[in-house]
Amino acid sequence: MRIRWNSIVILAVVLATFVVVQVIGAVQAPAGQQGGPAAGAQGAGAGGGAAAPGQGGARGGGRGGGRGAAPQGPPAGPAPRLPNGKPDLSGHWTNPYTNNMAGRGSVLDPTKKRADGTCCEPLTWERQGEALADAKGGAKTFDLPYTEWGRKKWADYDVVANGDYAGSCLPFGWSRNINSPHGVQLLQNNDAIAFLFEQNTWHTWVPTNATFKWPADLPRTWNGTSVGHWDGDTLVIETKGFNGYTRLDTTGHPHSKDVVFTTTLLRTDSNTIQHTVTVHDPKAYTKDWMNVRTWRIKQPTDVLMEYSCEENNLGLDDGAIVRWKFPESVDE
Amino acid sequence: MKKNRVIALLMGTGLLLSSVALMAHHSVSAEFDTSKKVTFTGTVKKIAFMNPHIYTYVEVKDPDGKVVVYLVEGGAANQLYRSGVRPEQLPIGTIVTCTNCSRSKSANSMNVNGRLTLQDGRAALGAPGGPQN
Repeated sequence: MRIRWNSIVILAVVLATFVVVQVIGAVQAPAGQQGGPAAGAQGAGAGGGAAAPGQGGARGGGRGGGRGAAPQGPPAGPAPRLPNGKPDLSGHWTNPYTNNMAGRGSVLDPTKKRADGTCCEPLTWERQGEALADAKGGAKTFDLPYTEWGRKKWADYDVVANGDYAGSCLPFGWSRNINSPHGVQLLQNNDAIAFLFEQNTWHTWVPTNATFKWPADLPRTWNGTSVGHWDGDTLVIETKGFNGYTRLDTTGHPHSKDVVFTTTLLRTDSNTIQHTVTVHDPKAYTKDWMNVRTWRIKQPTDVLMEYSCEENNLGLDDGAIVRWKFPESVDE
Repeated sequence: MKKNRVIALLMGTGLLLSSVALMAHHSVSAEFDTSKKVTFTGTVKKIAFMNPHIYTYVEVKDPDGKVVVYLVEGGAANQLYRSGVRPEQLPIGTIVTCTNCSRSKSANSMNVNGRLTLQDGRAALGAPGGPQN
């Protein structure tokens, strides 16, 4: 009897541990949102009693709140304000790690608010969930409202056979920088906001002063060109002008070079930003779609760190990772 | 006391299972062949605590006396640092074992992906490595 009891307890502990580690960070609060308080933090909490550096790296695992993951920052107060009265979004933020923007329940319809007025109802589309028969690099479905061009780009994505630009340490791009697990430092004044991404130590500068004009002939880039404006207390950022090499996320969801991202950031209190991103890309998607996420301020001791992707990417150096090649055309 | 030890052991097993599940990611398969496994015991010679992956260099003497150095890949240094992991926690010269670690897809590479343990069975790798991107 005693043995049986022990077995039950042990089994329960093992299963509970397994389940907890898998779901931490995938918290959706409320439904449709990505990233609970600890989401985006590294999954190191699983190793209580660490005796040495972590090995067995789970690229793209990235779930859970480990020590120092700082699920809670200082006590929340009102959102700080700039001299011009607009909300000041400055701070070091945990933006939820989103390696799959098409995750279950996370693809929302930007045109349909919920009954309670919050954003938004789930998006629906033709062939939703249907398997892609010609998918390369693993099983795939119609997990987004693809056009035929977008469907082919998604079906053909094969990171093992062809490599991936991020695996080659090339710039992740606007979408994937925000989706990364490493956090972002925002610096803001009356006229602009700077995004300092820890991922590969990249940055993007976003003017918010309506008098500012980017040069009309600015080259297309990995991060695109952003312009911000205020809708009440919500900062709205429109980003376009991409070179067409990037993907939306680590999973490899496609976009065309003409995609337009609309990002909204609303600092609801000193510790929290409500973030939405809407993908408008008629070449790749038949409908606009969006994600909604919650960012949390990091602990003061959790500082922005330098991140060199090139310094120890040994798998690329020794040929195990296929080096990504620039495509002949980004339009085909 | 004995029951506590058993529970602790099984918790560890559960955590190991969890990490294996988390490792089931396409970018791991991009670099490692999970069907090619290797088990070895050796001495820690160096820890490269860098991004996008740390590597622990483990010197191993083959049965025929030949010395080889395996490079055991871990998560990103920044994420491990935030988790409280420091390279000093695994002193140079420590004896470690890598059990059923996956070999690199490159025939010329000594890189492996897996978990290190100390000689007393404790995990030499508390943190299961963070995501790359």
